[in-house]
Amino acid sequence: MSKFADIRIDPAIVKRAARGDARAHEIIYRAFATPVYSLCLRFTKVPAHAEDLVQETFIEIMRSVAKFRGEAALGSWIRRIAVSKALMFLRSAWTSRGQALADDWHDVTPGDALSHGISRHPDAAIDLDAALANLPSVSRAVVWLHDVEGFTHKEIAALMGRTESFSKSQLSRAYQRLRPMLSDPRADIAGENAGLRSY
Amino acid sequence: MNDEKEDEVICALTTDEREVLQRKFAGLVETMPPRAVWYRIREQAEAEGLIHRPAIRRRSTWYGGVGLAAAAAIVAVIVPAMLNSPQPDSFTEPQVSEPTNSIEVNTLQALMVESRQLESDLRSLPDAPRVMRMSMVATLSDIENRIAAIDYQLNDLGVQMTPEEVRIFWRERVRLMKSLVQLRYAQAQRTAY
Repeated sequence: MSKFADIRIDPAIVKRAARGDARAHEIIYRAFATPVYSLCLRFTKVPAHAEDLVQETFIEIMRSVAKFRGEAALGSWIRRIAVSKALMFLRSAWTSRGQALADDWHDVTPGDALSHGISRHPDAAIDLDAALANLPSVSRAVVWLHDVEGFTHKEIAALMGRTESFSKSQLSRAYQRLRPMLSDPRADIAGENAGLRSY
Repeated sequence: MNDEKEDEVICALTTDEREVLQRKFAGLVETMPPRAVWYRIREQAEAEGLIHRPAIRRRSTWYGGVGLAAAAAIVAVIVPAMLNSPQPDSFTEPQVSEPTNSIEVNTLQALMVESRQLESDLRSLPDAPRVMRMSMVATLSDIENRIAAIDYQLNDLGVQMTPEEVRIFWRERVRLMKSLVQLRYAQAQRTAY
């Protein structure tokens, strides 16, 4: 489902990037900027923060591409860097609030959810974007990593420095919050559109 | 798979609910970052010495003239084909660089012919529908941007590129053009029904 895996770059361009070729880096940037930015935006919700993370991600790519051996796909490697940067952002945001990167569900009350349009009524038209945005940051990150980027709980736990149980618990609670929208009649339409999606 | 079963037990979502959620995730629109982000990245990368600006081409040696002659020869071969088809609407065709032997010339020529054929195929397709899904718009725009970036590089005569580098860029251009044609073709088929 992740777009990272669908993007192919000629290995010769990667080699040129490893030598510091600005044009090769621009091609890599243009290929991956959208999925990287989308991922960062999901994590941070704030465009300015997402833009900063995109910058950090691609600067890291420029610093490290010479070490890229091609054992994994370039897209997977870039995704790892982007995820790492985004999680560092979350961690720093939490640290600045004097909290660990942990369970932040107490920050969101049922009242918040309802006020942001997340109704419990199954027939209500609910937007997934809004529902995701209303999840606690860590939980939203877990959902995204697991369901969209295809990471396992073990991998998520390692990335977050937590346990697998933590990852599963966050996912479970997020699903409970998202569940009312799963009987949304628009889901079928969205599904048909998704089926047409190609790249 | 074990992971999925565990999730099902823990979250108590039914299989159908999981599928709906997955489809909704797949339907989410991706967002392009503002153009300014790349300029900021390039500025920082240059300041840190991570990338280098392309060298300025200087034709001070006799073999520069040989390169020009080779380029002219390729143009002579390509021009008749070009005259048989109209100019592309979307992209500026890159200039010919300086291949140095017949194998390189043939490879480059083949890539250019293929690229031009794909441009022609693209033009032969019906116009894009006025209403498109955002994800399709973003994907088409992304590919077109990447082709435009390659054309920009190939058209920049102030940039020193080896024949191998030129071939790499042309090969990438052909690959992207194929993706673009396939997407537009699929789109045209869906519109037809």
